[in-house]
Amino acid sequence: MARGQEKEKKQKPIRYFDYSLLFLIIFLLCFGLIMLYSTSSYYGSTRFGDAAYYLKKQLFATSLGIVAMIIVSRIPYRFWMNLSGAAYLAALGLCTFVIFGGREVKGQARWIYIGPLSFQPSEFAKLAVIIFLALIIYKTSKQVGEFKTLVKVMLIVLPIVGVVAYNNLSTAIIILGIAVCMLFVASPKYSHFFVVGLVVLVVGVVFIALASYRAERIQIWLHPEEHEKGYQTLQGLYAIGSGGLFGKGLGESMQKLGFIPEAQNDMIFSVICEELGLFGAVCLILLYLLMIWRFMVIANNAADLYGALIVVGIMAHISIQVVLNIAVVTNTIPNTGISLPFISYGGTSILFLLSEMGLALSVSRGITFEVT
Amino acid sequence: MSQEHVFYRSKTFNRKKIFIMFLAVFFVLMFLIGRLVYLMVFCSEYYGQKAENLHERERDIKAARGRIIDATGTVLATNKSVCTISVIHSQIEEPEKVIDALVKELGLSEDEVRARVEKVSSIERVKTNVDKEVGDRIRAYGLAGVKVDEDYKRYYPYESMASSVLGFTGADNQGILGLEVKYDSYLQGTNGQILTLTDARGIEIENAGETRMEPINGYDLCISMDVNIQQYCEQAAEKAYLKKQADSVSIIVINPQNGELMAMVNYPEFNLNEPFTLTDEMLSGVEDASALNAEQKQDLLNQMWRNQCISDTYEPGSTFKIITASAALEEGVVSLTDQFYCPGYKMVEDRRIRCAKTSGHGAETFETGIMNSCNPVFIELGERLGVDNYYKYFNQFGLLEKTHIDLPGEAATIMHKKENVGPVELATISFGQSFQITPIQLVTTVSSIINGGTRITPHFGVEIRDEKGNLVEKLKYDTTEGICSEETSETMQYLLEKVVSEGGGKNAKIEGYSIGGKTATSQTLPRSEHRYISSFLGFAPADDPQVLVLAIIRNPQGTYYGGMIAAPVVKEIMENILPYLDKS
Repeated sequence: MARGQEKEKKQKPIRYFDYSLLFLIIFLLCFGLIMLYSTSSYYGSTRFGDAAYYLKKQLFATSLGIVAMIIVSRIPYRFWMNLSGAAYLAALGLCTFVIFGGREVKGQARWIYIGPLSFQPSEFAKLAVIIFLALIIYKTSKQVGEFKTLVKVMLIVLPIVGVVAYNNLSTAIIILGIAVCMLFVASPKYSHFFVVGLVVLVVGVVFIALASYRAERIQIWLHPEEHEKGYQTLQGLYAIGSGGLFGKGLGESMQKLGFIPEAQNDMIFSVICEELGLFGAVCLILLYLLMIWRFMVIANNAADLYGALIVVGIMAHISIQVVLNIAVVTNTIPNTGISLPFISYGGTSILFLLSEMGLALSVSRGITFEVT
Repeated sequence: MSQEHVFYRSKTFNRKKIFIMFLAVFFVLMFLIGRLVYLMVFCSEYYGQKAENLHERERDIKAARGRIIDATGTVLATNKSVCTISVIHSQIEEPEKVIDALVKELGLSEDEVRARVEKVSSIERVKTNVDKEVGDRIRAYGLAGVKVDEDYKRYYPYESMASSVLGFTGADNQGILGLEVKYDSYLQGTNGQILTLTDARGIEIENAGETRMEPINGYDLCISMDVNIQQYCEQAAEKAYLKKQADSVSIIVINPQNGELMAMVNYPEFNLNEPFTLTDEMLSGVEDASALNAEQKQDLLNQMWRNQCISDTYEPGSTFKIITASAALEEGVVSLTDQFYCPGYKMVEDRRIRCAKTSGHGAETFETGIMNSCNPVFIELGERLGVDNYYKYFNQFGLLEKTHIDLPGEAATIMHKKENVGPVELATISFGQSFQITPIQLVTTVSSIINGGTRITPHFGVEIRDEKGNLVEKLKYDTTEGICSEETSETMQYLLEKVVSEGGGKNAKIEGYSIGGKTATSQTLPRSEHRYISSFLGFAPADDPQVLVLAIIRNPQGTYYGGMIAAPVVKEIMENILPYLDKS
């Protein structure tokens, strides 16, 4: 160890930057924009008379996001330590505000409008929770093995989970999932998580049993053909099934023509399946897996626990969303609204996702190699 | 920082846990890929088919039905382009303009049109069977949401001519009556189809590569009917119908050599272009036409559509003596010079069967007996033949079977069971009473006897041609040779010529032509009503028959003797068609 230290002092460490991740991000972004255009052009032209309506909005958000990513990737990530508390409070505040002052879209107030721009605070909340929890766990890393600490940390995130859950349960579940993953990695123990897992399972079952509409969702999940509300799920399945091995070809989806409601949002994966087939869908899943693997590499080699935890949070975020989205679209689990990262339509989402990517890249910059 | 860095890197459990997390994600994603394989490989057909059913809209392209063409090349049944006007609610932009235009062009009330236009449905039919010109005018308005679909409608240029023979078609282009039914498979053709893809709103997708299956038009049917002869016959039938205030008049004209029918009239006819409208004749017995219920109306329609020449049986009366005479000649139980005596009746067992001439014909030969249509002579012939022989010839002549004419609805002969025939039945059969046959059966059997003994199948259909006129199929019909000897045939030609030139059929005599024939006057059941059917069967030239005409007048008022009222009808027809046939 001491020798290594000496060597490091002598030789200038080789600067590292995870270009693989950067390429993955760029590739996914481009692929996402193409698929978004393909999927949304029908709705764009029938509702707004402009086939590129959704593409333009998404392009704008993506450009903003890329700028944010570049800036964030150039700022040493430890800089956010001081701001994370404020970010958390801001997210909490915005998420509370949206309940009262947000604009309702389809009965759920999830957006804040600033002039012509809309903003979904729950997307920001995910990022805020990642950097804030990373700090908290980093500071308490010595005691994180104790169950007491776990509970304490969970209590800290609970308010924001509660506030977000008020009108966006799916995002709340994601935030909770991110928190659990970060604690899991930070803690040297396993037993706690079995307990937590068990508790979550029991609470979940009780939760579903209590609310009848959730039980109905289960029924829809099991027999989508027999329920009117299973329409979206069923249309998604039609799209996936009609894709076959190699799909109908880019732009050739039939199901996007009004059959799948809001195909450009959560159901976009089904259109990808229809157009690009099993081959395309598996390639996309492998791309995500590759990206998650890069996060693992960065987290494993991060300069400190704080950086590692940030990347673990991001890794958890991407993983949970990809897994849940595909699971929902393939009717593997009951329907819940979760978007597919980098591809689904959503300005706020892409903006904060890219900011997160900036953070991950920033952490990757901190990696140094010992040259022996 | 470097201190911490080294310290941190030593914490392998973090790495391990991150790896566990990655592995978890990896396995879940692999599971999802498995799920995708299941959905996209094993369920692909199921979901793909369901999706396709959702996207596809089928549209039929009607095949043009084949025409019916007579022996002169005149088209008797063809198709007319008509339009169906529909409105598509979701595509209408200017509802008021649409309503105005449709009211003006279609002659419907505004309320009616408004109801259609404002109804929220995917497509609403406003009017069908609109003339093509009107459809074109509506199309010229260029109104969004108004659809003009062209379609074919069966059209009969001669309207009521040969109505029950030609028949008509239903809305689905399927034959309902007559030749339209019999030759439906040739005439119908195969409808084409356009398969288009639509989006969720039902709007067709442009350039979606619609699959088009071209329709195969139906074949033309060439028939032996001659429009000129048919029209002569109809005029003659109409005249007799009006003059004798008859219930109906039927006329059949056939070529006895090959069975080709040249005309078949059942007067009164009905308008083929409006087959569901009852004719005035049908309504004459009805007090209030609007009070008819559906069933009553259908009964009247069925009556109106009836082809009496082939679907109705009657007692042939004296025309049947041709068959009795032929059987007797064939069996050799009589010769032309055989002597008979008619006292005006003949006793059969304990019954006295009268002759038409109650004072009696006195002494006569077989030849004069047939000229006089003397009943006792034929009763005698029947007795000489005996039941077994008589029935043998019925079978041999083909009388007991259907003629298998190429028209639907032929009735069978109603004849006594052989074992039930006693002397009285035998006697009545021999002059054509107590059993029933169809007019077409009589015509066919007599044709077969006088043509040299070849049983023919009466028919209209001759050839099937495609729309360009190329021969597709020459229709073939069964014939049975030798149902009687040439000799018998020639004798019958001679005898029947005598009937017209010197006997009871002299009203059918035409200067310059040798005509054979036989009159008949039969009574319908019950006898107490005194309703008669008078008929005459004639053919020419007598020694080489080329045309045979049967005229039947049902329930004539006033004089009812066949020789008096039916023979002139045949004469009139012959006068017209013999020169016409000579020319062609």
